[in-house]
Amino acid sequence: MIYFDNAATTKPSASALKKAEIYNDEQFFNPSALYQGGLSSANAIKSAKEYILKTIGASTSEYEVVFTSCGSESDNQAIFCAVKRGFFVTDKGEHSAVFKCFCELKNRGIKTELIDLNPDGSINEQKLFQLAEKEKIDFVSIVHVNNETGAVNDINRIADKLKEINPRIVFHSDGVQAYGKMPYKLGKNIDLYSLSAHKINGLKGSGALIKRKKQNLAPLVFGGGQEGGLRSGTENLFGIKVFENAARERFDNLEENFKKTENIKNYIENGLDKEIFSVLSGKKSSPYILTVSAKGLRGEVLMHTLETFGIIVGNGSACASKNRYSRVIEACGYKNDVLDGVVRLSFSPENTIEEAERFVKIFNESASKLKRIMQK
Amino acid sequence: MKKAIIIRYCEIHLKGKNRGYFEKMLKENIKRSLKNINCTFAAMHSRYLIEDFSEEDLPIIEEKLHKIAGIHTYSIALVVENDFEKIFEACSSLCNGKHGTFRVTANRADKTFTPNSMECARLLGGRLLEVYGDKIKVDVVTPSFTVFVDIREDGKTFVYTDVVHCMSGMPVGSAGRGLLLISGGIDSPVAGYMMCKRGMKLDCLHFHSFPYTGEAAKQKVVDLTEKLGEYNGGINLYVVSFTHIQEVIHENCPEEFMITLMRRFMMRIAERLSYKIGAQAIVTGESLGQVASQTIESITSSNSVVTMPVLRPLIAFDKIDIIDISRKIATYETSILPYEDCCTVFLPKFPAIKPDLKRVLKAESNLDVDGLIEEAMKNIEKISL
Repeated sequence: MIYFDNAATTKPSASALKKAEIYNDEQFFNPSALYQGGLSSANAIKSAKEYILKTIGASTSEYEVVFTSCGSESDNQAIFCAVKRGFFVTDKGEHSAVFKCFCELKNRGIKTELIDLNPDGSINEQKLFQLAEKEKIDFVSIVHVNNETGAVNDINRIADKLKEINPRIVFHSDGVQAYGKMPYKLGKNIDLYSLSAHKINGLKGSGALIKRKKQNLAPLVFGGGQEGGLRSGTENLFGIKVFENAARERFDNLEENFKKTENIKNYIENGLDKEIFSVLSGKKSSPYILTVSAKGLRGEVLMHTLETFGIIVGNGSACASKNRYSRVIEACGYKNDVLDGVVRLSFSPENTIEEAERFVKIFNESASKLKRIMQK
Repeated sequence: MKKAIIIRYCEIHLKGKNRGYFEKMLKENIKRSLKNINCTFAAMHSRYLIEDFSEEDLPIIEEKLHKIAGIHTYSIALVVENDFEKIFEACSSLCNGKHGTFRVTANRADKTFTPNSMECARLLGGRLLEVYGDKIKVDVVTPSFTVFVDIREDGKTFVYTDVVHCMSGMPVGSAGRGLLLISGGIDSPVAGYMMCKRGMKLDCLHFHSFPYTGEAAKQKVVDLTEKLGEYNGGINLYVVSFTHIQEVIHENCPEEFMITLMRRFMMRIAERLSYKIGAQAIVTGESLGQVASQTIESITSSNSVVTMPVLRPLIAFDKIDIIDISRKIATYETSILPYEDCCTVFLPKFPAIKPDLKRVLKAESNLDVDGLIEEAMKNIEKISL
C-alpha cells in the first residue's frame, strides 16, 4: 500500500507506542494521586510538556502546555476561552475546527471577519494589516500550514506586525499541520498554538494547546482541575507519552525528513502529466502537502481508482451535490471545473521515492484513462 | 399479574377457503421474528397470543411486531382467571392513574360465566367509578379510553385498554417474490417496504459504479437493505458492477440518452437475475414525473425491454409522502447521506425527458447489449443480510 493521506492521519509509530507501554502497565497511576505512583505519572506528563516546549524553542518560564483531546479542542478553547468579546478575525483557509468556531461566534452575535486568501491558500496579509489599522481587533487566528493546500503563513511575522499595530490583540495559530514537520521556533508574539499528536505518528485523541503563561484562558472542560484547571479530566497519560515519543522521533530527524519529503513532492510535481493536472499548492508550500487538480475529472473518482492499485490519497471534500466543493480551495479563487478534480497528496517521512515513482506512473495513467472516458 | 400480547390480523379475514394458508404464514413469520426471545406463542381463533415473556423483553417484542406485515393491531393484556373479583382487580390496576371518560366492553366466550357480558360491563363500570370516581367518568359513546374484558372458554380472561396499530397488510411471502432495484436514495427502500406490506418477499439489486461511486455509497445501500430486511424477515442484496456498461454507453451513444439506456440495461439485468433467483416481478421506486427518467415516455422505454411485471408502488406518490414513509421506517436518515449513486455519474446536462423509442433503439444499436449483460451477470456479488 502507498499511503499518501498523511495530513488526514498518520500511522502511529511502533517504537513510540512501545516506549510508552509502561504507562499502560506498571506506571498506570492517576497523575493527580498523592502517592508515589501518582507523582511519577505527574512527572512523566511534566517532562512531556517540557520536551514539547523545547521543540519549538519556547521557554518553560514564559509558556505552558495544556494537553487536550485533539487539535479541534485546542482550537475551540483558544477561540472561545481567551477573549470573551470584541472583534474576532481569521482567514478563509482555516480548518473546520477554527472556521466552525467563527460561525458559532457570529451566531452568538459577535463581530467576526474572514480575510481573503491568495491563490496558493496563504492569507492575504495586506488585507489583514489594513483591517488592523482601520479597526480595533481583539482576537486573530491564522493557520500555520493550510491543511488543504500546504501554504505556509509566516505567523511569527504576521503576529509581530499585528501587535505593532495593536499590542492588545490575542494571536492564535493552528499549528497542527506544521508541528514536527518543519523547523519552527514559536515567535514572541504568538499567544496560543494548537497541536495534534496523530498527525506526527502519535495517537488519535491526543492534542495540546501551547499557551503564553501571561495569556488569560478559561477552561472549556470543567471538573477536577487537571492541567492547571484549564482542562479537567484525568490526563491521557499513555496518549501524552506516545505524543512525546513520536515528537522526539520527528524532531530528531526534522531536517532530514524535510528534505526527504521535499524530494518526494518535487518528484511527483515534476512527473505529473501537465496536460491533465494543475498544481494548486504554491512554490513555497509545505513539502508534506501537494494539492493538484485534474481539470474536468472528479477527485473522488480518481481517489477510488487509485484505491484499486493500493494507493490511498485524500480528496478535499465529499463528492456530493451539497457542499460539493472545498470551501478553502474555492476561497483560493478557483472555478468549479478545478474544484471538482481536487486530489490532496500528503506525505510522511516513511514514504519513499520508489513509492513516488510508482505513484506518478499510475496517477498519470489512471487520470488519462478516465479523461478519455469522460470526454469521449 | 401475568401479561400477554394479543395479536390481531385484518385483511386475512376477507379470505375464504384459503384463509388457513395466510394464517399459517403470518404465524410462521411471527414465530421466526421471535425466535431469539424466551416466550410461548400460540394461535387462537383469529388471533395469536404471546405469553410467558419477561418484562424486559416487552419493548423488543413490541418493536418486532411493528415490523411484521399482516399484523393489524396488538394489545398488551393482563391475564387473570375467570373470576369476577380478579377481573375487577385487573380492571382497577389498568384504570389507576388514568383521567377522562371511559367505558367497559366485555365479551363472554365462556357462557358458563356469570354475570353475562352486558351485566359484567355494567357491574365493573360501577365498581371502577366507586374507586376512581374523582378522576374518571362514564361515556359509552365517545370514551377517552375503553376497558376491554375478554372472558375466554379456557378459563382465562384478558383485560386491556390500549389497541396498538401496526403495519397491517399481508404476511410476507404470501404474495410471491420480487426483486427490488435499490439505489441508495429515498424512494427505493420505501417502495420495498410497500411491497413487503402487501406480502411480497423481496430480494434487492444494486448497481455499483466503482470507481465512480465509492465503497461508502455501497455501504449506504447495505445499511438501507438491512433496514428493509427487518420487514422482510432477512434479505439478500445482489450487487452488480455497472461501471463498464456506463462507460460503453457514455462512449458510444448520444449524451441525452445516457440515463434512458442505463435504465434499459438495469431492467434487463434485473429480469435475468429474477429468473435466476425465482423472483416473479421487478419492483422499482419510480414515481411518475419525479425526474427525467420517470416520465411516462422514459418508463415506456425502460419497460419495453422486459416481459416480467414491473411493480411501481410509488408511481402516484408525491415526494413529500414518500419522505414521510421513509421517516416512519427509519431509512430517511441513511438515504440522505451525501454519496454519489450510480445514476448521478455521467449525468448529462440535458437528459432526454421524453425519449423517443425509435431514437433510443437507434442509439442502442451501437452496443453489444447481450455481451454487456452477459459480462455483468458474471460478476454478481451476493450479500445476505
